[in-house]
Amino acid sequence: MISTALTLLMATTSLAGGYQVSLHGQKQSGMGLIGTSLQMDASAAYFNPGALAMMPDQLSILGGVSGILSSVAFQMEQPSLYQATTDNPMGTPFYFYAAGMITNRLAAGLAVNTPYGNSLSWEDNWAGRFLIQDISLSAITIQPTVSYRLTHNLSVGAGFVYALGTVDMERALPVEGPEGEGRVNIEGSTANFGFNAGIQYSHPGGINFGLSYRSQIDMEVDDADALFNNIPGTLSAAFPAENKVAVTLPLPANLDFGLSYQATPDLMVGMALNYVFWEAYEELHFDFEINTPNLQDSHNPRDYSNTLIFRAGGEYRVNEGLFVRAGAYFDPSPVNEEYFSPETPSLDVLAFTGGMSYLPTRNLSIDASLLFLMGLEQDMMYAPENFGGTYKSRVIIPGIGISYSL
Amino acid sequence: MHIHKIKNSLLFIILAVFLGCEAEIDQHIPDTGTIDLTAYVAVGNSLTAGYTDGELFRSGQEYSLANIMAGQFMHAGLESFKQPLMKDEIGFGGRLVLAEVDGAPFPVPMPGNPDPANFENIYHADGPFHNMGVPGATAQHLLFEGYGTLNPYFGRFAANPETSSVIADALALQPSFFTLWIGSNDILGYAMSGGEGAGITPFEEFELYYQIILTELTAGGAKGAIANIVDIVKIPFFTTIPYNALVLDDNQAAMLNAAYANLGATHINFSAGPNALVVVDTDHSAGLRQMEEGELVLLTAMEGISQENWGSQQPMAPEYYLSLEQVDEIGEAVEHFNTVIRLMAEAEGVAYVDIQSRLQEAETGIYFDAIGFNTEYVSGGIFSLDGIHLSARGNVIVANEFIAAINQEYNASFPKATIGNFPGIIFP
Repeated sequence: MISTALTLLMATTSLAGGYQVSLHGQKQSGMGLIGTSLQMDASAAYFNPGALAMMPDQLSILGGVSGILSSVAFQMEQPSLYQATTDNPMGTPFYFYAAGMITNRLAAGLAVNTPYGNSLSWEDNWAGRFLIQDISLSAITIQPTVSYRLTHNLSVGAGFVYALGTVDMERALPVEGPEGEGRVNIEGSTANFGFNAGIQYSHPGGINFGLSYRSQIDMEVDDADALFNNIPGTLSAAFPAENKVAVTLPLPANLDFGLSYQATPDLMVGMALNYVFWEAYEELHFDFEINTPNLQDSHNPRDYSNTLIFRAGGEYRVNEGLFVRAGAYFDPSPVNEEYFSPETPSLDVLAFTGGMSYLPTRNLSIDASLLFLMGLEQDMMYAPENFGGTYKSRVIIPGIGISYSL
Repeated sequence: MHIHKIKNSLLFIILAVFLGCEAEIDQHIPDTGTIDLTAYVAVGNSLTAGYTDGELFRSGQEYSLANIMAGQFMHAGLESFKQPLMKDEIGFGGRLVLAEVDGAPFPVPMPGNPDPANFENIYHADGPFHNMGVPGATAQHLLFEGYGTLNPYFGRFAANPETSSVIADALALQPSFFTLWIGSNDILGYAMSGGEGAGITPFEEFELYYQIILTELTAGGAKGAIANIVDIVKIPFFTTIPYNALVLDDNQAAMLNAAYANLGATHINFSAGPNALVVVDTDHSAGLRQMEEGELVLLTAMEGISQENWGSQQPMAPEYYLSLEQVDEIGEAVEHFNTVIRLMAEAEGVAYVDIQSRLQEAETGIYFDAIGFNTEYVSGGIFSLDGIHLSARGNVIVANEFIAAINQEYNASFPKATIGNFPGIIFP
């Protein structure tokens, strides 16, 4: 019965919502990325700073990396036989967390991870190349965090978030010379600040509640290089070869609620709700330093909607040295279907996850996870430039990490 | 039993992971609907033939409207579509290309001599041909027996230039499906001569010729699609040079005012900034006047205006502009012809392709697959360097309009052509 359901769902698949990447810990990844109410190790610094002071150990250090193997397929709006697929480089989000108890109520920690990113490369000369040929977005956040236990059951925490972002994108220009089409490459980086705060309540009956909020961070690139290549000579004045461009991409705020329950000494189950304030992404605006009649600033509407991600998962202790995990989540697309650009082909995603930890000693854990993301095949349009069709994607994300606690 | 199930599930998950790596979407299966694709024949003028940039040449023919449509029909079972290809990229020698002139792109004649074989009849060597588009043809011309002796573009591929008509050669292929786009030249000859040359085909005559053509094409039970004509006065040939193209400074304006005052033409007035061009008008009491807003200058006046002081020191001849009256006359003819075409489509039950409306939409700018187009000269992307005929991508836009109308009329689902796969206008 379950395999039949899986087969049906496998017919469709997709990437995660927008350009948010939620792979911040192999243990959480194995459990459908629930994490807000968990208080197991230093990764709480990211998931819910409020839970950090509740961690069971004096010291916790962990790190890990995942490999995002994604593929997106496109079928031009009917009637058409045109199809294209991506040949995406593997995305490699990573995380590193370290935290320790300074007093028995006060914890301090550091979280370094990559909560946002997008790595996409459409096949050469595909029909949507005037919107996007390839793009690589990434944001690394560094977050020093403190957490304080107010009572035996209640703790709060907050972190200061420093975000470093880079963008590298290329699209074709519909100007053609003897050597083919022109191209524009935009490359830049920036940094900005934000915060992360949370509260954790741990009920003596084995029920934990967590609530956390991560602020929006606008990645404002003021002086990205805008390099115009292969422009015909007579149009070179219209497209200055070495231009600069300002562009802003908001990293949306997140409000997360989590609930977990230690059902038996060996079984923990939990859920989380992530409300993502995607409405912040109204448009992608390119403000060129040098404008010409042919090169105006470009306003690309996005008009994203806020989304609510529902996650559920659990962990089962097989024995002292082995934990297995499973989970699932539904991540609806924030994209407006009239403004769906193939640069962020974000579809409604249903994901199934699994994971395990192997503990060779009591202090050391080797953690692995595997995610399989299945989206809905959806008809989407970028109406302002009349480009649309059916999109579909599949993503497989294996990940490995190590945690040490004392 | 339980173990067996777990093993099966595990195997399934592993398979899913490795097979599931690539996203795939089921491909659309084209359907011919009620159309029989045994033989498709395209009948028309230069727009069907693939005439572009002022000439008919080989690569232009490869991107012809007819060949693009045929290519899409082939996805649904059309087996062959033969075109009377020129031997080279030069054709009869009238081709324009963009060259760098004073740092800017400018249309100039393409260098090189035509292959003499381009002028020889190729029917017996390569015919018969499914692309029966003949540059220069009017509705009447399609019915004219021996048209090949008058028009070398037909002479080179007519079954018998002395006796063939375009329609007769088309019917010899026993078309099961046809497209027909004719009528522009019934007005263009008049418009391109500034209203001084051949007149517009009289309305009753146009209706009669069109009726005969359509009756003959459908006589054998063939299904087809017919298209209306574009607003002739909205094509770049007539819209590129503004009526007030003469930009002067104070000094130049004063000098010209003095010169015309000396001739007694005090109704001619210039001032600093854009000025209406001076034209010869035999209906005017003084024999010359300045142009009015809404009047149109022909693209062929470009060189005279920029290099020989046409419209300033030298009043421009009537062959190079259209008066308001002529513009209205042309507009009325387009509306009348298009009414005829629409009514005939309804009467004969063939697909009706409204190209006029689609090009009207394009005037203010239109996107197809994230490529922006408008009806401006060269930069607009739809019209070729001659300002009259379509570019390769312009042909794709029209072909897709045909396909949409055909799909609707005949319950078919021919795939549209992908515009980004066709070349744009090449800049130096």
